[in-house]
Amino acid sequence: MTTKTTVREHEGDMLVESAVLGADDVLVLTLVDPDGDSLPAWTPGAHVDLILGPDLVRQYSLCGSPADSRAIRVAVLKAPDSRGGSVAAHALTEGATVRVRGPRNHFPLVTAPRYVFLAGGIGITPMLPMVAEADAVGADWHLFYGGRSLASMAFLDELSAYGDKVTLVPQDEAGMLDLASILGDPRPDTLVYCCGPEGLLGAVEERCAVDWPASALHLERFAAKATDAPAEGERSFELVLAGSGLTLVVPPDRSVFDVIQDAGVSVLGSCHEGICGTCEQIVLEGDVDHRDSVLSESEQAANDAMMVCVSRCRSDRLVLDL
Amino acid sequence: MQPNPVPLDQVDLADLDVFERNEAWGMFDTLRREAPVHWNEEHDGGSGFWSITRYDDIEMVDKDPETFTSTRFTNLEEPPEEYQELRRSILETDGPRHLALRKLLMRDFNPAQLRRYEDFLRGLATLTVDTALQQDEMDFVDAIAADYPIAVLARLLDTPEEMTPQLISWGNEIVGFSDPEFARVLVNSEESQKYRHLPFSSPVSQEIFEYGRKLAAERKDGDGEDLVSKLVNRIPEDGVPLSPEHYDNYFLLLVVAGNETTRQAISHSMKALMDNPDQMQWLLEHPDKMQQAVEELLRWASPVYHFRRTATRDVELHGKTIKSGDKVVMWFASGNRDDTKFDDPYTLDFTRFPNDHMTFGKGPHTCMGSNLARFEMRIIFETLLPRIASIAQTGEIDRVRSNFVNGIKRFPVRIESKQG
Repeated sequence: MTTKTTVREHEGDMLVESAVLGADDVLVLTLVDPDGDSLPAWTPGAHVDLILGPDLVRQYSLCGSPADSRAIRVAVLKAPDSRGGSVAAHALTEGATVRVRGPRNHFPLVTAPRYVFLAGGIGITPMLPMVAEADAVGADWHLFYGGRSLASMAFLDELSAYGDKVTLVPQDEAGMLDLASILGDPRPDTLVYCCGPEGLLGAVEERCAVDWPASALHLERFAAKATDAPAEGERSFELVLAGSGLTLVVPPDRSVFDVIQDAGVSVLGSCHEGICGTCEQIVLEGDVDHRDSVLSESEQAANDAMMVCVSRCRSDRLVLDL
Repeated sequence: MQPNPVPLDQVDLADLDVFERNEAWGMFDTLRREAPVHWNEEHDGGSGFWSITRYDDIEMVDKDPETFTSTRFTNLEEPPEEYQELRRSILETDGPRHLALRKLLMRDFNPAQLRRYEDFLRGLATLTVDTALQQDEMDFVDAIAADYPIAVLARLLDTPEEMTPQLISWGNEIVGFSDPEFARVLVNSEESQKYRHLPFSSPVSQEIFEYGRKLAAERKDGDGEDLVSKLVNRIPEDGVPLSPEHYDNYFLLLVVAGNETTRQAISHSMKALMDNPDQMQWLLEHPDKMQQAVEELLRWASPVYHFRRTATRDVELHGKTIKSGDKVVMWFASGNRDDTKFDDPYTLDFTRFPNDHMTFGKGPHTCMGSNLARFEMRIIFETLLPRIASIAQTGEIDRVRSNFVNGIKRFPVRIESKQG
């Protein structure tokens, strides 16, 4: 048996100094030590764990400046198909505290004379400190940044400082990143750094495998999405179906949809993830805890409708017109 | 009724004759059992596709747009790169933009809105049935199944009554793009190459676009409550306005998806009720269970056989490697007959509950009009069934030659009615 050396990581509560939208569905969190202490040092490519619940731990790349020992910055994409982390992180507001572990770095920037950086969507986050460092040391670099649309792409202001070293590729206007031409000129002095959705990572891997040196490609692949959010932390509430005359209880580990269906009442649904809009129900009473991606903020605030597959209730009693 | 088994080496879901003969079901059964991820060559120049036939796999694919993208088009046809942007609709968009486009109209089909249509739908259903039952012999498709959904659509779009026959024939031509009886220009034919910039490579798309643009111009900046007015006057939540091409394609989708599929569902449902008199009787005795019965009829009907995705990376599934760029076909109709999900899937059973069928899809692209379709079906059968003293098929059913829509072209019946 070998004994593993355990390096004790930094872990502690941090204060949310600011929480602002950096783009559609992208929340940028600036975190500081609650006592104003200086933070552990880190290097470009590093990430931290945000511990958002007992079994809800998510990794986020640090996207501020390593020179800033007072604050760290992460950006969280609200993923429509995520049932846990991004929703919990998006609930953080200024003044809240959140438990943070790390930083650690599995994606370090190796020194090279020339870099090609490829970012897809929220994968821009580790690239920000990387391009800053590459620029500071005078390397020859270029960043290709793809996203669904300009409105969905965060940090465009900051990147504009780099001028034509950054190419923006919003998919709705310019299509996908053209990997054939971006990676069409393999050079031994160049390293390729890529972070983004699995589709991009796979395509870049495939392209680099053709004629790039094996050590050229560096990519960041966060672990597959964890399974369902745990029931811990959820509360039960009373559910009244006004039309059917039924009073039911929604326990912490069941959805409103499930409980309605268990009672034998016809309720229509499809995706069960709060994205398709099929299961919308009319709310007569109750403070709805909206967790869907269908209703806009104002529609959620109106509190007259909810997606029963994912949304719950903050008050003790929810009354639906069903 | 269990279909005849088809040996694996005879399975070919690109062969439209199979679908015209209604023999795909036996192939689906074989694939689910023996080859849940199955490569199917195409004979019309297509690059071939993977068939996904098990319920759980279809759901997994539909819910993972990162890996199985819609952005490389969603029918079997592979539009040339240069025309993809022209032809792109909400169906071929993923991610936040997709959601923003969906949200433009999504809530116009929510329960509160549908309630506002109830009186209209009941009146329309009564009128349709009264008119149809003036004769004993009829083509059920023409007399009931086609007229009713298109009239609903005309109301939602607020188009004049004289446009209704035109809307029906447009729907026929577009959805029957692989059926020589419906399509002026068959998809993948030499002639269709001229129209590859248009949806379904069909010249009809251009006519629909032109009509949609006329409506848009009339209604821009107005205060109409119809879907066209909402489409031209609302800004998607991402702040990016609808491009003219996106409007064209959105309008076309409403015209086609809004009526053709519901019509097929109604025809299939009538056939299923006739083939299962015990279930028809049960339903007449349990009118409060109509919603539950409609769900079973939707599972049974499966009016859309498939939608297609494209792999964005290599994926291992059931021992097969789906390569990045491969077409991946989700056979929803097969998922609806998966016996690991539905007990006795070939039995029509109105007591089946819950009934989590995949007739409308399962992921972010789930049919936006699904609740309207359900509502239309409930009301037409609530209106029609009590009026039928007896109903009999009087000739062969003709089916649409397509592996996309599971459609009935002609369904001759004789109905003895209870009144009039």
